[in-house]
Amino acid sequence: MRIVRALALVFVLTLVGTPGAGLSAPAQEIVFTSNQFTPVEEQEWARNTLLAGFTRETGITVRFITENEGPYVDRLLAEARAGRGTIDVTGTLHGIFPVFLANNALRDMAEVQRQLDARRDRTFFRDFLAAAKMDGFTAFIPWMQATYLIVAHKDALRYFPGGRNPMAMTYDDLLQWGENIRQATGQRRVGFPVGPRGLYGRFLHGYIYPSFTGAQVRRFRSPEAVEMWRYLRRLWGVTHPSSFTYEFMSEPLLRGEVLVGWDHVARIVPALRQRPDDFVVLPSPAGPRGRSFISVIVGLSIPRTAPSPDLGVRLIEYLTRPATQVLTLQGVGFFPVSPEAGRTVPSGALKVMADGVTAQSGAPDARTALLPVGLGARTGEFVPIYVDTFTRIAVRGEEIQRVLNEQAAKLEELYRATNAPCAPPDPPQRPCKPD
Amino acid sequence: MAVAETDLTPARPRSPATWTPYLLILPTLIFLGLFFVYPMVQAVWLAVSDPQSGGLTWAHFRRMGADLYFAPAVRYTLLITALAVPLQVMLGLAIALLVNTRFLGHSAFLYLTALPIGISDLAAGLIWLSIFTERGYLNAVLQRLGLVEVPLIFLSVERPDWMLGAIVITEVWRATAIVMVILLAGLQLIPRDYAETASVFGAGRWQTLRHVILPLLRPSLQTALIIRTILAFQLFATVVTLAGRQIPVLAGEAYFWYSLYRSPHVASAYAVLILLFSGSITWLYLRFLRAEEGRA
Repeated sequence: MRIVRALALVFVLTLVGTPGAGLSAPAQEIVFTSNQFTPVEEQEWARNTLLAGFTRETGITVRFITENEGPYVDRLLAEARAGRGTIDVTGTLHGIFPVFLANNALRDMAEVQRQLDARRDRTFFRDFLAAAKMDGFTAFIPWMQATYLIVAHKDALRYFPGGRNPMAMTYDDLLQWGENIRQATGQRRVGFPVGPRGLYGRFLHGYIYPSFTGAQVRRFRSPEAVEMWRYLRRLWGVTHPSSFTYEFMSEPLLRGEVLVGWDHVARIVPALRQRPDDFVVLPSPAGPRGRSFISVIVGLSIPRTAPSPDLGVRLIEYLTRPATQVLTLQGVGFFPVSPEAGRTVPSGALKVMADGVTAQSGAPDARTALLPVGLGARTGEFVPIYVDTFTRIAVRGEEIQRVLNEQAAKLEELYRATNAPCAPPDPPQRPCKPD
Repeated sequence: MAVAETDLTPARPRSPATWTPYLLILPTLIFLGLFFVYPMVQAVWLAVSDPQSGGLTWAHFRRMGADLYFAPAVRYTLLITALAVPLQVMLGLAIALLVNTRFLGHSAFLYLTALPIGISDLAAGLIWLSIFTERGYLNAVLQRLGLVEVPLIFLSVERPDWMLGAIVITEVWRATAIVMVILLAGLQLIPRDYAETASVFGAGRWQTLRHVILPLLRPSLQTALIIRTILAFQLFATVVTLAGRQIPVLAGEAYFWYSLYRSPHVASAYAVLILLFSGSITWLYLRFLRAEEGRA
């Protein structure tokens, strides 16, 4: 009888206690904004997998808002100007942080970085920590990284130029490969994402330009650049003529229209996921001045007007954990920024991708290019200058040197107006200026 | 007393009667003002104002005119409109006349042909991309029939005419239905007596159509033409999906200037240009078709 009474008491106390406990500790919520993970599937994954894990562990719910670059930047700047904000954590590309710094919108993350370093369960690649320091201010904590690679159908490897190594491909090899495929099949099977939302512009300024000229901007109209554009015309001749409709190379690769494609890792992962045994991932080609590739760094930061910065720090701690970084790699194909996470070898599609990334960044002739910074509101004008140059020279067949001179004048005006420095591998001249 | 009463009586009932129509259109006016007039004025202001000084400037229009894609965008927008709109009207009229004969199963046929109305232009672009792409349905059919050995590349930068053809076909497929619905509504307003009277006087089908139906259908034709032409100037998603920026159009350039280059001023300049084009075409239609009506 006493047992029954005790059980009843426990039951009643549980009933009374549970809502009471809920009321005494109100549900905590923070706002996390980003211009990453904008595709719907990625948003779903971020909410249901990535951030749900954090909520399970801490009880803090995260309202995740992802938008395209324009509205995303405007929102954070508007809060900074109003002096009152809702955003607790924000995550974006390395190149966007200078805009926030110029508007005094962020907290210095040096203290958060020290806290993370003190945990000793993760370190960060040194290049990334250096990139986070902007004029002595720690703008962000490295979160994830991405790059662009070549993905090829395994069947296409038999057309690869004899005696050459695909893992150490040069631009000559790529052209020869395309020509071999064309001769054998009668089709142009090399593909680039030249569609309006495709990332072909990155190939031009971050890959082929530095590989041929050693610079993204400084040698824009140099004799080496003219040589490079002659090469590109020939490469365009073996490129699939529908390339200007391609935005994600995974689609034409899966359809079989393209056998050799170049794109952002996140935009080729779907092909590798669907048919991991059919594709190989190869490093981007090398030119006379090395094997240039872009390293895209994504960082996390806390706005100056954040209502709950302490909770924001907890989210940053969670997102940069090696296990979370591996989860992010598996979910959306962004690579870790910690060697501790990088050592956890993924399997399947990601293993294929990781091999390609390692071969590219570990190549002896590797040359890292970073995205331009400091162009502020005019950042969006940089890439179209390169793509328009391509349209005029390769598609419309205009005279190379004349086009380069005219487009160089636009680049020069853009840099002079914004007083922005050159991005690596160019020397840090300010304002950057094509010779 | 009697005089005073007669003076007052008409005034009392008139007051609600005169205000009712204005009250009824007030929500519409507020809606139009908020969501059409205000943004339109704002767009015009963005297009002509200098962000630094706040003064008036033509710089954004100059920048628009100097852009690599400006001239082709004007050319292609006019070309696509000139090709697609007449096709849509002819096809829409044919289908509307066919449905109006109320043949067996005409309502099922009507639903089927009206289906594209419910499909967004982006979705329509994607549907037709899956048809026209190298490994698409069209090539699959052609290969199955043994008409081609290797798949044809319809969407190629070397063949802008083919791309243009693909865009026009997509547009005709997507937007003929709306023309058809307007014309069908117009046809159903025409009393059957007219056609019957014509046949009593010995008019054939063709003569009845030409001299009786079409003149009576003119208001509907005018509406359909105006709506279709204005929408053709706003054409964007289907073109971008099928031809990227190799076939530039005005609305697409406005979008690219806003989202890619982040310049709302030049984007607004494009918007103002589209507004001017649409406005002048509408004016031409109204004027041209009204003159015809006067003569008829």
